[in-house]
Amino acid sequence: MDVSIFAEYGPRLLSGFGLTILCWLLGTVLGAALGLLIAVAQRYGGRSVRWVLQTYIEVIRGTPFLVQLFLLYYGGPMIGLRLDPLPAGLLGLTIYGSPYFAEIFRSAFRAVPLGLIEAGRAIGMPELAIVRRILLPVGLVSALPALVNFSIILTKETVILSIITVPELMYQTQYMATMTFTYLEGYLALALFFWGFVEVISRLGRRLERRITRHLIERS
Amino acid sequence: MVEASSVEIRKVNKYYGDFHALKDIDLSIPPGKVTCLIGPSGSGKSSLLRCINFLEEYDSGEVLIDGKLIGYETPGGRRMSRRKLRQMRSTIGMVFQQFNLWPHMTAQENVAEGLRRVRGLRKAEAMERAAQALDRVGLSDRMANHPARLSGGQQQRVAIARAVAMDPRLMLFDEPTSALDPELVGEVLNVMKALAAGGMTMVVVTHEMGFAAHVADQVAFLDAGELVGVDAPARILREPEDPRIQSFLRTYHERNVI
Repeated sequence: MDVSIFAEYGPRLLSGFGLTILCWLLGTVLGAALGLLIAVAQRYGGRSVRWVLQTYIEVIRGTPFLVQLFLLYYGGPMIGLRLDPLPAGLLGLTIYGSPYFAEIFRSAFRAVPLGLIEAGRAIGMPELAIVRRILLPVGLVSALPALVNFSIILTKETVILSIITVPELMYQTQYMATMTFTYLEGYLALALFFWGFVEVISRLGRRLERRITRHLIERS
Repeated sequence: MVEASSVEIRKVNKYYGDFHALKDIDLSIPPGKVTCLIGPSGSGKSSLLRCINFLEEYDSGEVLIDGKLIGYETPGGRRMSRRKLRQMRSTIGMVFQQFNLWPHMTAQENVAEGLRRVRGLRKAEAMERAAQALDRVGLSDRMANHPARLSGGQQQRVAIARAVAMDPRLMLFDEPTSALDPELVGEVLNVMKALAAGGMTMVVVTHEMGFAAHVADQVAFLDAGELVGVDAPARILREPEDPRIQSFLRTYHERNVI
């Protein structure tokens, strides 16, 4: 294999790498934020709010990411939603991840013992303070493994964005491979990159988990 | 000393679906006195206690705290606003069977939380008051511990401090020692006795007949959602007239004979 090819395409690959990280990070953060909003609204909203959100969750979960992305990117302009590839990709990732995040938060909230909430109500804490100070911090601890897990799934969904010409790492690797016939080396390197990336995330996740559950370890 | 509240319970009914959990309960809880609610499990004593701060919504009747209806605007009328309910609850302390301390906060933070979010105190002042409250329950050396690092008895004392720090005029205890190992029951009961001696109105759901006999001013016996009898502990526990109370006490004594 000719290493000089990687040197020549280095700048492209590097920018693709940066964009992949960015897409993953923003997709995770924004998707989780939207999912959190949905989960809180489901918990406190009325029947109609819950129904609308549940339908949203079912529809997004029930359709392929690529189809959602095409609808947004190619279908959007027909109803006046004209987005560049990157914003379309980020919006797509956010929407795609949100129902999964919402379900993670919903079940985490349900796992918070009612007594902890009642203890807040009994001293007269406002409901918003109960959410912020009790429900979220306690729920997040039990949600963390599932959150990390889904963010790992999202790393690999970012490659789909290459199809709508977001120049992330998959896109750049494809470009290099086509120009230089390095299909094996290029895609092998890409596969190794994702494996390493996921490994880093899962290690960071475990470390974070240990940190935020430290106070829950009973004395021996 | 803050003034102590009275509680007036009138014709209170509570249903869970078809199950009639509380049947026309009438009970007067005088200010500054200790009232114990006893009875078999499932008799409705915890439900009744939880109606007093409206954690449990009664379906009809009235629960009056110092003459003021809790939970509804008018008897049988509209639900009272959340703000008003919060205001009333903030003067009613509650201690739960499972302690319900917030696991992500230290003992001191647990006690300070209500002072900050409900009383609006600044953090430093809330923490200072929390430290004083924990000192009163004998836990000044455990303030920085998270609940998981405390024994059950210590956790329950933190929970009492959390309620007491709010300067309540009424304290509700829902089987406060039932989840404790036997050797830890005493330390919690001692804190409760000190509170009672300080003139706090207390309503205590308990299986501790010793506490009921020695500390309570009146004991109410519930069975199957009915208030069977209310009397001074000496009378209701030593010479009960109602066969249901007799049978309950007989079972209790048999179980506690060594």
